[in-house]
Amino acid sequence: MINGTIFKQTLHANVKLWLMFTIVLTILQVVMIAVFDASTLTDVSHLVEGTALAGMLGKTTLLGMLASTFYSIHGVIFPIIFIIMTANSLIASQVDRGSMVYLLSTPTKRSTIIVTQAFYLIVALVIMFFMETIAGLVTIQVFQSDTDIVVADFVMLNVGLLLLMFAISGISFFFSSYCNLTKNSLAFGAGIQIAFFLCQLLSSVDESLNVLNYLTINALFDTTAILDGEHYWWKLIILFGIGLVLYIASLEVFKRKDLPL
Amino acid sequence: MGFSKPQQGIVTVNGLDSWTNTSTIQEKLGYLPGEVALPENLTGKQFIQMMMDLRKVKDDTLCKKLVDFFELDAAGKVKRMSLGTKRKLAIVTAFMHDPDVLVLDEPTSGLDPIMQQRFIDFVKEEKKRGKTILLSSHIFTEVDATCDEISIIKDGYLISSFNKQEQLKMTEKVFNLTVQNDKHYTQLVQKFESNAAFHVLFKNDQTNDLQIGCYPSDLSKLIQLLIDFPISSFSEVPFSLEKHFMEFYDRRVGGDYRGND
Repeated sequence: MINGTIFKQTLHANVKLWLMFTIVLTILQVVMIAVFDASTLTDVSHLVEGTALAGMLGKTTLLGMLASTFYSIHGVIFPIIFIIMTANSLIASQVDRGSMVYLLSTPTKRSTIIVTQAFYLIVALVIMFFMETIAGLVTIQVFQSDTDIVVADFVMLNVGLLLLMFAISGISFFFSSYCNLTKNSLAFGAGIQIAFFLCQLLSSVDESLNVLNYLTINALFDTTAILDGEHYWWKLIILFGIGLVLYIASLEVFKRKDLPL
Repeated sequence: MGFSKPQQGIVTVNGLDSWTNTSTIQEKLGYLPGEVALPENLTGKQFIQMMMDLRKVKDDTLCKKLVDFFELDAAGKVKRMSLGTKRKLAIVTAFMHDPDVLVLDEPTSGLDPIMQQRFIDFVKEEKKRGKTILLSSHIFTEVDATCDEISIIKDGYLISSFNKQEQLKMTEKVFNLTVQNDKHYTQLVQKFESNAAFHVLFKNDQTNDLQIGCYPSDLSKLIQLLIDFPISSFSEVPFSLEKHFMEFYDRRVGGDYRGND
């Protein structure tokens, strides 16, 4: 199902972008953990008490701080950009430019191509978050060794984020497989994710905008629930389900569609 | 090629449905796309290697022979290559697995004249080896030199389909001739005009030039008739595919050409 030659070529074409985003993401994570100081944050939260920002700052533990910053803004938007760019270049841009023709003029099945490209995207994300998590854990040991941190919660935050990205990459990948033109693939494959992201961001600003939370799948990655130990599993399972369904849909759509090659 | 699903009917290659058996067909088929859009991040050599891997071609002697024959320099990056070099690269990859069926879409565009000639010779050689070659082109000399069966397509409809040899036998042959003096010229014109087998297509009373049309079956009559006249020049206007083609395209009446064939 996975073709080594195509995978090698995909890796060759996309690994630079992946490396860039992984490094940026990891550095962000490391810096945010390293500079955390519980006492200053308490001061700040007193300052903004009662304003719109209070909701965004959330709890004043390290993980609480990370949950309301890294795990809802930086850690979300950077991988989203990576996904949008990569997913488009994996299928839609190759169909649009016409270079897909060379893969299909060999005895390679369409399904093999899709599975290989999807495999690359998923593996890239898994390794990206794996490295980010390891870097985060190391940084916690080095800089925050005296802070009380539940490592399991930290890992779960990352697993949750990975599953969110899996679902989001499913959306981008689906539109990359469905659309024959790069512009359409990007319009849907990026527009939807950005909309989700903005909905989630706005809903955390003010209570009155909470309704937006129901419009975004980002809300299924419920950082508060993870930290408070509430039931969050079903939400993550839904995220996984969304991703899986979309990847399978991508395969089926690509197998059946007419290619303008 | 199995890129698009036919709206009606089926397309078969070697008896296999091109939509459902695409990958099996590709094992014995070579495709040269009209637009060269190669994966740009590879070098020519890497691309050839990739195609060999995808086609599971182990033996690279044929490939090396092709590279030498077309004087292809595959060392550089595909991105930096000229159109001609890219085209050569595409030609090599289309023929590398010694396919039985060849689909060539405007194969010589972008090639220099020497290479065009070499390519035509190469296609003729392949034809002699019993390969089925499907060639689409706007260049009449190329079609004329290589094809046996010719079809003309306009606005998506097949408007003419013929065998070149048979067409030659059936079309009226056209001759240019010049008579030495005025007296004989007038006599000859009278003879031609009174005989239904011949058509005077053009005459010039000043220079005593004539253009005569006659079917191959009446050719001997024409020669017999001419024996008695002092002719200073006699030449045949060769059958031109271009002229035949233009006859169809000049009919500007837009519309339905179905049923013509």
